[in-house]
Amino acid sequence: MSKKGFYGVLTMLALTAAPAFAQGTAPGTGGVKWGVVGAAFAIAVAAAAGAFAQGKATAAACEGMARNPGAAGAIRTMAILGLALIESLVIYALVIAFSVQGK
Amino acid sequence: MEHSFLYGPVNRFLISLLGAPPVAKLSPGWRAFLFPDGEKIWLQDNVIMAFLLFAFLALTLPLARRTFRKRSPNWFQNANEMIVLAVRDLIDDVVGHGAGKKYLPLLGAFTYFILLSNLMGFFFFLTPPTSSFQTTLALALTSFIYFNAQGVREHGVVGYLKHFMGPILFLAPLMFVIEVISILARIVSLSLRLAGNIGGEHIATGIFFGMVPILVPWPMMLLGLIGALLQTFIFVILSTIYIAGAVAHEEH
Repeated sequence: MSKKGFYGVLTMLALTAAPAFAQGTAPGTGGVKWGVVGAAFAIAVAAAAGAFAQGKATAAACEGMARNPGAAGAIRTMAILGLALIESLVIYALVIAFSVQGK
Repeated sequence: MEHSFLYGPVNRFLISLLGAPPVAKLSPGWRAFLFPDGEKIWLQDNVIMAFLLFAFLALTLPLARRTFRKRSPNWFQNANEMIVLAVRDLIDDVVGHGAGKKYLPLLGAFTYFILLSNLMGFFFFLTPPTSSFQTTLALALTSFIYFNAQGVREHGVVGYLKHFMGPILFLAPLMFVIEVISILARIVSLSLRLAGNIGGEHIATGIFFGMVPILVPWPMMLLGLIGALLQTFIFVILSTIYIAGAVAHEEH
């Protein structure tokens, strides 16, 4: 990741963290529900990284198919398999998000 | 999430037939394992739906088989032949020529069960059995036992265990542990992937459906249709790859 992107992510984190901390100090709310925060954060990061990886995989598969249409069938199978394996990691994050959400 | 239309009636019928489940006699662990839905519930939704699907398949396919003709196939025969031949060709491609017929029974059963149970999510009065982790764990365990049994049958117990050792002798203890862990992780990954995909899709469609019951959930349902077909394919092809890895002969 470029330096600019890294600082952008840091800024976004800071901006999202501020309301969460503000909510925690509000009287009568009973504190932050860290489970919800953690669940949302987990699925957000997993979805972002998974989407990036899937985009790269799809781009490479499309390029391969365009260059060599004869191998399209094999490439398609491998691409779908790889996409599903990438997506399954996001799904783990989703399952974990559901399980920590109520805590 | 709401339950399917059979959840209440079946459990009321079972309670009138057998009485309430013996929850109080069990230790808390067994209670959470056998009756997680509480004291008034014999069977959970995914079990009822799986039985329903099993009964549907066991009644429909043998009856439909009587109408199949070699000369003039009807649309149902064409659809079934398409599915079965696709699975057979897939196994032939991955495992090796001629293996399709050998491994078709279990993998074809997986295909039919997972495909139809994924598609059950589109009917509001049904719940897809595969959206529950327990059903998919059962499926993944079946696949796990099957590919290990096939590996043992092909190589013998010692020969199959030798697969895990790796090529170098002094690294064998390390390789063995790693291989066993990675093989056990296949159960978790197979079952979690299927249940998470189908269950997540179902929940997301339900949320959209709760917002606006028309037009808004349709894109989500289209994604769900693609996901249902794709997850069936993924489960079957991964099982096939695992079988191929278990029965493969090492070439020297």
